[in-house]
Amino acid sequence: MTSKRILLLVLCSGILMTGCTQVRPWERGYLARDEMLWDADALERQLNDHIFFSKEASSGGSSAAGGGCGCN
Amino acid sequence: MGSYCEVQLYHESRIEARNVSRELIAEVDRLEKKYSRYQESSFLSAINKSAGSFSGISIDTETKSLFDHATACYKHSDGLFDITSGVLRKIWDFREARVPSQSEIDDCLENIGYDRLQWQDDRLLLPARMEIDFGGIVKEYAADAAARLGRKLGIKHGLVNLGGDFAIIGRQPNDQTWPVGIADPNSPQRMMAKIEILDGGLASSGDYERCFLHEGKRYSHLLNPRTGWPTEGLRAVSVAANLCTVAGSMATIAMLKPEIEGIAWLEESTLPYVYMDSNEQISGPALQEIETA
Amino acid sequence: MKRKPSRSLIALSTTALALPGISSADAPPTESTVSYKISNYKEDDLSREQVPFGELGRYDIDVHQFQYVSPLGRNFSLSVDANYENMSGASPWFSTANANGDPVINMSGASGIRDRRSEVSVGARYYMENGNFGGYVGYSEEDDYRSSYIGVSGEIGFNNDLTRFSYGFSHAADDIFPTDAEIFNRVRNEDKQSTSAVVGLSQVINQFSVFQVALSATEQSGFLTDPYKLQDSRPDNKTQLVLSNSYRHFFFFFNAALHADYRLYHDDFGITSHTADLAWYQNLGRDFQIVPNLRYYTQSAADFFTNIDDFTKPLTEFQSSDYRLSAFGAISGGIHFIADLGDWTATLTAERYIADDKYSGFDVTQPSPALVRFNRVSLGVDYSF
Repeated sequence: MTSKRILLLVLCSGILMTGCTQVRPWERGYLARDEMLWDADALERQLNDHIFFSKEASSGGSSAAGGGCGCN
Repeated sequence: MGSYCEVQLYHESRIEARNVSRELIAEVDRLEKKYSRYQESSFLSAINKSAGSFSGISIDTETKSLFDHATACYKHSDGLFDITSGVLRKIWDFREARVPSQSEIDDCLENIGYDRLQWQDDRLLLPARMEIDFGGIVKEYAADAAARLGRKLGIKHGLVNLGGDFAIIGRQPNDQTWPVGIADPNSPQRMMAKIEILDGGLASSGDYERCFLHEGKRYSHLLNPRTGWPTEGLRAVSVAANLCTVAGSMATIAMLKPEIEGIAWLEESTLPYVYMDSNEQISGPALQEIETA
Repeated sequence: MKRKPSRSLIALSTTALALPGISSADAPPTESTVSYKISNYKEDDLSREQVPFGELGRYDIDVHQFQYVSPLGRNFSLSVDANYENMSGASPWFSTANANGDPVINMSGASGIRDRRSEVSVGARYYMENGNFGGYVGYSEEDDYRSSYIGVSGEIGFNNDLTRFSYGFSHAADDIFPTDAEIFNRVRNEDKQSTSAVVGLSQVINQFSVFQVALSATEQSGFLTDPYKLQDSRPDNKTQLVLSNSYRHFFFFFNAALHADYRLYHDDFGITSHTADLAWYQNLGRDFQIVPNLRYYTQSAADFFTNIDDFTKPLTEFQSSDYRLSAFGAISGGIHFIADLGDWTATLTAERYIADDKYSGFDVTQPSPALVRFNRVSLGVDYSF
């Protein structure tokens, strides 16, 4: 039940995207800030991916995968 | 940069505004140190010292981008905007108001020609006795770079003025456009026009101060790199564009062209502009905008 | 009504916009950066209730991460990653019922496990006017596990770079060769392949916010069973699908950025999961940042999960008491302190993770007694030159 509701929410936000205003190149200063990056800290992201990969059933996401491990 | 410079920033916190302005000034300083033709330690001096060397000099990304822009200026001005033409200043001394002889000019012209620069990957081979001068590009670029840094650091309203080259960040805090006064070439204390800018940049080119009269004839400080003689075109041009760098290049090229062609060049660009022609007549679409404003 | 600008103006604007001080186009990093991070990961001990006999301690891992990223000429960047892990402790071996019929854990060997994992990867990326493209290869090795992987990924911007399309493709080949295979009658040498593809779309919404959606699919085949468990048998094929959403918003008033991420996962072992992650990047002056984050995770159980091993079942029938295949929820939170000291950046992180069947958003018919709780602390430094 919850999964369906969340999926719906995601699809809605996809539709909203088309209504965006033009943001000119020189107005993108905030978007270019380090804290606005998808991964603000690469090593932190790698470490988290590795830990959660070892302790939870889910893995993968928005970026291409690395190698596996025999972590139990 | 040897001219009047100002940075105006609006921020809720005065400390923050001061910190940001310090960063902007540091960015302008960095570019001046790198591209000043007067500083022995500048990278530009290193480039010019490399003239005639067989191995050339390695050019970094930023400088290479400036060369790329200079290439576009050279091509689109039919060779009038030439960053190797600075050597002409050695024979045209505007302080002494001396007209050089044609043979002096001919000798000098041998050391000019942007198309004579050779590149091996990222190495520039500058022929002997030639010189590079980024005047007309780098001051404008510094204004844009400072404005961009300001935006990046959270400034929404601000103005960077590097000796008459303006880069604007957003509108004024009261939502008004920025009025920029354009100095009159005859007496720079007087305003010949006012341009309102929304955002982006404004640059001016003209025979401010540095021209001279000799035997009744005016000699502009703008020199035609193909003839070696001062140009006889417009007296002053101001252009507004999305970037100060673009405005500056457009204005400089308009000045280098013969008067009629210069006006046509401005007209075709579709940008707002104001000019003073050789009859000291002031006109241009940007001017009308002011009158109605 | 609007006239077309002259070709010269377009040409001059193009070269001006490419100037690095102005450009918003893709460019390799302008400086080289060396980063190092040391972390300690420690799982809480289990209780006597959960483990009637033997070892209570679980994993304790020290992780060293090293990264070097450097521009290479005008359009390339190069990155080298090296990781080293040193682990000790014990992990669940098999699961039985106690006198009350509740599941209890038996931990692996009294002496515990000692293992080291070393990983190296190198990557290169090419930056063009409206995007980038790159690839990487990597290799990792443990006493009982080897993985080699390769991947490519790229991004293309369009619509004035307001929209970006990203894609990635990767493949990993793993070898599994359990220690003490003869003594414990474990498999000797098995292998496993994973192939993964991802496509994503990001969109600038306004001056302050950007949204990304990505879809990835992974196909695993080969030996997917845990060789160290007494009774563990899993299918030799697994298909995983992931939908992930990321949102970033800069709050001008607070001088802070919000990161909100949500991931939906499903695989054909029968597991569905939701992950929600929130982080608040609060700037403190120009040189400091404090970042609290909160994460919620919940998954359903695999079809063949059992919390009490059934030793009467033949190994041809799938079953596993691996707690990672049970239904549970996990709440974790952390705090990061970041100090920007000119060319140096220092980061201090502390994190707490608690998995519990009580937190599950899915029905839990068979709770696992072996769910983990852990603490993690990290100290990282970056140096740019």
